[in-house]
Amino acid sequence: MRREQRVNRKAGVNFERSWTPWLYLLPHALFFLGFIIFPLFFGVYISMVRWDPLRDTIPFVGAEHYWELFSKGTPQNEFFWKTLANTLGFVAVSVPLLVGSALGLANLVYKPIRGRNFFRAVFFLPGVLSVSVISILWRWMFANQAGLINVVLTEVLGGTAVAWLTTEGAAWVPIVLGTLWWSVGFNMTIYLAAIGNISRSLYEAAEMDGAGSWAQFTKITVPMLSQTTLFVTVTTVLGSFQLFGQSLLITGGGPTRSTQSVIMYITEEAFGNNQYSSAAAMAFVFGLIMLVFTAVQFWLNARDAKRVRL
Amino acid sequence: MKRRTVFLALLMLTAMAAFAADKVEITYLHGFTGPDRPFMESLVEKFNSSQTGIVVKTQSQPWGTTWQQLAPLVASGKAPDIVAINEDQVTGFAARGALTELTAADLKNANIAKAKFYGPLWATADYQGKSYGVPVHSVALAMYYNKYLLQKAGILNPPRTREEFLKAATAATVDKNGKHPNDATFDSTNVVTWGTGVVTGWMGGTIAYGVLRQNGADLVDKNLNAAFGDAASIEAVQFLVDLVYKYKVASPNGTEESEIAAFRQGKVAFNFNGVWMLEQYKAQDGLTFGISPVPRLGAKMDAAWGGSSHLTLPKQKAGYDAAKRAAALKFVAWLTQPENNLYWTQAGGLPTQPAVAADKSYESNMVSGLFSGLPNVYATSGYPWVGQVRGAWDAAIEASVLGKKTVTQALTDGVVEANKQIDQARKALQ
Repeated sequence: MRREQRVNRKAGVNFERSWTPWLYLLPHALFFLGFIIFPLFFGVYISMVRWDPLRDTIPFVGAEHYWELFSKGTPQNEFFWKTLANTLGFVAVSVPLLVGSALGLANLVYKPIRGRNFFRAVFFLPGVLSVSVISILWRWMFANQAGLINVVLTEVLGGTAVAWLTTEGAAWVPIVLGTLWWSVGFNMTIYLAAIGNISRSLYEAAEMDGAGSWAQFTKITVPMLSQTTLFVTVTTVLGSFQLFGQSLLITGGGPTRSTQSVIMYITEEAFGNNQYSSAAAMAFVFGLIMLVFTAVQFWLNARDAKRVRL
Repeated sequence: MKRRTVFLALLMLTAMAAFAADKVEITYLHGFTGPDRPFMESLVEKFNSSQTGIVVKTQSQPWGTTWQQLAPLVASGKAPDIVAINEDQVTGFAARGALTELTAADLKNANIAKAKFYGPLWATADYQGKSYGVPVHSVALAMYYNKYLLQKAGILNPPRTREEFLKAATAATVDKNGKHPNDATFDSTNVVTWGTGVVTGWMGGTIAYGVLRQNGADLVDKNLNAAFGDAASIEAVQFLVDLVYKYKVASPNGTEESEIAAFRQGKVAFNFNGVWMLEQYKAQDGLTFGISPVPRLGAKMDAAWGGSSHLTLPKQKAGYDAAKRAAALKFVAWLTQPENNLYWTQAGGLPTQPAVAADKSYESNMVSGLFSGLPNVYATSGYPWVGQVRGAWDAAIEASVLGKKTVTQALTDGVVEANKQIDQARKALQ
């Protein structure tokens, strides 16, 4: 008897009370079911009907709202893909900047330079501001006529003013720079922690072999940080895909929807046009696209990580 | 001793409960969450203290939250008894069946006289010949003019017509050599002060909407389909575009914000914006300015954009207490009567009725410069797809003003886009 108990304890399972582990899981399971699984399926349902809580009967329309995204001539077809392309463009430009400059800054402020804590704090500080604050700041700076940038351009440098906020293309500049300034500190902090974990002996050995600081950076720091880079890239890509506040508040999505992000458009469709079902369908398609991106990134980085280890 | 205290306490509780049960409690949801909130709260307090049988409980939250929550609240039978709804949302909620009609009998019993309000303002909450709300708050687009710049340009009174406006704007547009746009040697790249500004975005669409109405056109036709592609609409928008490219009295690439900044700095003579800018401009050092109704830039009538909030009674679940509805109507009548509207306008709104505008206290108040235009203020309302129509209209104005498309092309494309969206919205309403 006693022996049996001991065996059981070793295995870590109490067969007499097999529901105990379920009790431990229950709190999380309840929230997971209530706040993740249920909304997910309810969302699928909304996207396949013509949903309005005020209607007496809610007609089932199947894939109509998904079909609208792919059939030419519908507003959804025109604007969803346009705003998705805008968002992809933003991701393509902002992610390398956000990851690259975070790594660069982390590498700089890791070194024992004078005032490095000050610089760490300064680079991180904008991250504590809300999106409204940073957006208003950058909109002011890039204002068409009396903005700081244009005043410097015209009155200090003697050039011509650029109508930043109403020129396609140029309107992205305050959005991208504002986002970079706002969120680079977060990535930098993650890199700083990771750099601290790289064994100093690697650098000492490299130094003895005559490696310069650039070679040390590219041959030791960057490869040793590849797992961190994966994490930082994935979170930054997902974050950049969620672009909303900066576009909304800096340019209002203009000129002519050229800086409107896909999330902004989905919000417009849901709450501006009261087309909840169509917006839900778009959200699912967009979510799937994000999922694919994330999977590809994990796959690419996993492959790279393997190669580094070899 | 102890027992007596308990007994007394119980007696008091019972009395209080009985007292509370006698009172009809109604809830009032609104979105006046800014500096206007204390004004609304003190009005409600005043009402509560003047009543023995009714208690109004207020709840305030950002407007957008209410637009998202109202439908589910009504559907689940938990809607507040009174909800303030803005001009661009009220028709949508009425059409979706979220609101109850305020019948002639309702209004009569509550002593609410429709004729006392500005006509177009009241009509803002009408849909298919029925009334759904009583105006409690009103704002309008105004023309601000820099008195110093106009005086310098030899203009004595604010313009009232298109000709006067063009003349004044031309005289006030001055390049660094002192030339005006009608001089052959005028240099439009080196302008010191501009006549006016033509902007994009929501404000651009709002200003253009007024000129469109002045031309006798509207954003939708009588079937509520988008209709801003006709000759009158094209003429209205073309005039605004011409202010930039033909008459050269407005700076290119203007935004709402850049025009506000320019007006505050005394670099532009005319600024079109909402009455809500008044306090900011008053606080600007060295700016001497006036406020007046938007001049008649169109051909047929006076008109300007207006925004408003209306007190509505949402649909309630079956068996809703009739006493609550009567109490709600009583509160609506009280809150919108002249005396209380006058108090409310101190928070920045405009009078909802001529009787308030005529009050003596306004004689020394600058905002009264706008009052002659109040009978001609029109909201974008009356169709359940204001969002869809405004979206397409604002985009068309933007494409026109930025020169991306000709005005005709931009408006034609805009009408096509809006009507596609309207078709979808119609399906959702069926």
